[in-house]
Amino acid sequence: MDIAGLYETLSAIPAADLSGWQSFFLKFYRAWFMNGRWLQYFEGLLATIEVTVIALAIGVALGVIVAIVRTAYAQQRPGTHNPLLAVIDFIFKIYVTVIRGTPMMVQLLIMGFVVFSSSRNFTFVGALTLGINSGAYVSEIIRGGLMSLDPGQAEAGRSLGLGYFQTMMSIVIPQAFKAILPSLGNEFIVLLKDTSLISVIGGKEVVYFAQAIVARTYEAMFPYIITAIMYLIMVMAFSYLQSILERRLRASDRR
Amino acid sequence: MIDVKGLTKAFGDHVVLNGIDEHIYPGEKVVIIGPSGGGKSTFLRCLNLLETPTSGTITFKGVDITDPKSDINKYRQKMGMVFQHFNLFPHMTIMRNLTLAPMKILKKSKAEAEAKAMELLARVGLDDRATSYPSQLSGGQKQRVAIVRALCMEPEVMLFDEPTSALDPEMVGEVLDVMKDLAKDGMTMVVVTHEMGFAKEVGDRVLFMDGGVIAEQNTPQEFFDHPQTDRSQAFLAKVLM
Repeated sequence: MDIAGLYETLSAIPAADLSGWQSFFLKFYRAWFMNGRWLQYFEGLLATIEVTVIALAIGVALGVIVAIVRTAYAQQRPGTHNPLLAVIDFIFKIYVTVIRGTPMMVQLLIMGFVVFSSSRNFTFVGALTLGINSGAYVSEIIRGGLMSLDPGQAEAGRSLGLGYFQTMMSIVIPQAFKAILPSLGNEFIVLLKDTSLISVIGGKEVVYFAQAIVARTYEAMFPYIITAIMYLIMVMAFSYLQSILERRLRASDRR
Repeated sequence: MIDVKGLTKAFGDHVVLNGIDEHIYPGEKVVIIGPSGGGKSTFLRCLNLLETPTSGTITFKGVDITDPKSDINKYRQKMGMVFQHFNLFPHMTIMRNLTLAPMKILKKSKAEAEAKAMELLARVGLDDRATSYPSQLSGGQKQRVAIVRALCMEPEVMLFDEPTSALDPEMVGEVLDVMKDLAKDGMTMVVVTHEMGFAKEVGDRVLFMDGGVIAEQNTPQEFFDHPQTDRSQAFLAKVLM
């Protein structure tokens, strides 16, 4: 007997007469197979990945710019005061303070219902908000990496006659990147999972569809557990990729 | 070659260098000794502006390099620096450590830069380690590579900041040998060190720094045999025990 046939047969039986396994099957069928609902999860999954990638791109771009400007400001030669750099540094400092000082959810609500209240593209507004949020954290991670590197490394580069940015690109950033990769990976995982929050402003990702299915079937367990498993698999896949990258970057550590 | 006038350096309220006037002549080997905190390293680091002087001027071959408008990167190329902790780039092979700056700044071709690097590596007996990473080398080997890295830029002055202080005792000799070799070639050298034997053997002039000033200076012979001030006498009594 095929699955649809089994469902037909079992759903005809009064609920009180079903065995535990039979009612379990019925609930799962309604949460996954019925009306091609599994397609909705994958539609949501696709949107989740899309939002993560957009937010990641925005976050990394913002994070790198903010981190480099703020580090350059902190490390400029005493006596050479660049007023433009000071203004930008001050703006970036406010940005990091505000983003880190307010909850993600509140930022989403403000962006979704105040700043972009007329926009219907909730998913993109969500991705944008997540990206701006992530940028603040990424910038602090990168800044930490740049600052934590032995100053002797930059001094060695400068003493050879390399300029500030040449030293940054060839010496400081490659080493800092290796050092911050675990925290960066952690931030990306947080970002991936935070995409679930954009359902509060109507962003159509996995949680949004899971909630819709719960509303239809009056049954919460399966849709939410399926959602959880989907996130878990994505995070595990990402962690695996990260460990491969870390292993490759460790080439110079061999003794 | 390097002319220092009225150099002072303060970190906040803490005055490290308190007015230094000094001239370093071409081909001269100047050894700087003195107690910790006397300003030796800070003075050396001021010479290539790794520390920005609080006041005073440093003139390199007639150009005031303390002038904010002067392009310091250009003058640093002419002043090789060797650090106490080597500061090799751990993420690059030895060869890449040596060729990075010549290729990026002197615009040498890869082949040209590598040929020069191999020649110098052979001179310090490390031509077989070109493809190793710094972490695979001993301290003495790292410091020899660091010297070669500075030499690859074909500098006119070499600054040494306690080059043997972080080494195991049995490795000090191999690094000093390279430095003596360099001195024989006529390189202008400014060396901060605790190796009194090296100072006696190689130095043309000894500067004794204490309390942020050059408290005494003389030829090594005179300085070690007849120290003039109480401070230098007390210092030598301690280190030459």
